Amino acid sequence: MNGRFRPSVLVGSGTRRIMAVAFVLAGVAVVLLPRHAQFFLRAVGQPVADVVAIPIESMAPLTRGLRDGWHQVFPVHNLSEQNHELHQRVQQLRGEVNQWRERALAAERRAALVEFQRHAPIQTVAAQVIGRSTSNWYQGVVLNKGKRDGIRVEMGVITPAGVVGQIVKTAGSTSIVLLMTDPNVAIPGLVQRTRDEGIVQGTPRSHVRMKYIPPLSPVRKGDVVVTSGLTDGFPRGVLVGEVARIEEREGDLFQTAELVPVVNFQRMEEVLIVTSARPVAAMPSIEQAWDARENENAAQ
Amino acid sequence: MKKLASIPFMLLLVPVQVTIVPSVSVFGIRPDLCLVAACLVGLFAGRVHGGVVGFFVGFVQDFFFAGTPWLNTLTKTAVGYLSGVVAENVSTTRWYSAFFTMLVLSCASGVVFLLAARQGMDVGAVVHGISAVLVPQAVVDGVVALLPHRILARWMGHAPSAW
Repeated sequence: MNGRFRPSVLVGSGTRRIMAVAFVLAGVAVVLLPRHAQFFLRAVGQPVADVVAIPIESMAPLTRGLRDGWHQVFPVHNLSEQNHELHQRVQQLRGEVNQWRERALAAERRAALVEFQRHAPIQTVAAQVIGRSTSNWYQGVVLNKGKRDGIRVEMGVITPAGVVGQIVKTAGSTSIVLLMTDPNVAIPGLVQRTRDEGIVQGTPRSHVRMKYIPPLSPVRKGDVVVTSGLTDGFPRGVLVGEVARIEEREGDLFQTAELVPVVNFQRMEEVLIVTSARPVAAMPSIEQAWDARENENAAQ
Repeated sequence: MKKLASIPFMLLLVPVQVTIVPSVSVFGIRPDLCLVAACLVGLFAGRVHGGVVGFFVGFVQDFFFAGTPWLNTLTKTAVGYLSGVVAENVSTTRWYSAFFTMLVLSCASGVVFLLAARQGMDVGAVVHGISAVLVPQAVVDGVVALLPHRILARWMGHAPSAW
């Protein structure tokens, strides 16, 4: 026992007691305050977060060298990542092939015009991964773009290869992305070959599953899953992953597919934040508008 | 003066946690340096200082946390305060007291995160959370706490026990 032993451990006297009560009250207040009334905590914390973001951005380049060195010390742990460069290239090409395949299918369904609008270039903001989430409980990354760059919560995050995740928190100059492998992320997906829709969700084991696939769907191993575009965060046709296994249990109302994500989340360094999944319709020029009006009048 | 000198270390904790710690994780498990710091300050400086430091580092950490808002603020404050309470009852200079205090408080903190992160999920997800994250992280936190504990014990004028 050291010299500071006191029989009454949970309550002290004087300042300590006041501090203890203050902590308890602060804790209760934080828990009980409605979300929209917590603005003052964010207002106080934003400058602090901005200040802390400065060393984070400075230290970000160090992490790559550190990580490579660490992987050389523990090579067995990273055997699957030895072909990193080739893998990245393959991912990129698969993403491009997928986009073209999606466009071809859309044309076959005689919806070329509508599909063209959906697949027209989307508005994105490029961002750099400067850190990882501070907790083992959530799989997230920190990006170097925030509110000042127009980033908002629930925006989708992609790479040229495919879907990464969704923005869940923003500060002035940083934002947090919850990765697709986290169980708290759910994205509407579409099996490209069968056109069956479902919900793509992470699992506690960092896998990705597509749930609620219709029971009669002929989905099979190797099928490609893309985003269905039913939410604002992602455009239609962005590659999510490939079906690795179908889980079909007797009595289940739906099929579930285990997916292999196309994005290597451990090696990701730059991403695109989808600021507008639907392209803004091009405004016609005044001459075009005038011509269109004249044509209408002539037709009448 | 010693307490003032510790402020820069506290400010750097979150950047280090966000950038460097994920690069050197072992089998995907990263120590929570902010939790370790709150616990050690509580052990050496008492429950009030532990609570204050826990509140501060948790508050900053929450801005780089993908989960439930203010969860770090609450848990780190509680861990800092409770480790101060522990310090009033057991010797803080023994390495095993630091290890087991860290282990227990990390487990308690992990339960809070487990309830938040696995809310509404099946039993399998909860069991996996306990076996794959909660317990390994508590052990890692305990081990990581040993070195700063030894340094702090010397710095604060205590004679550390042999390891």
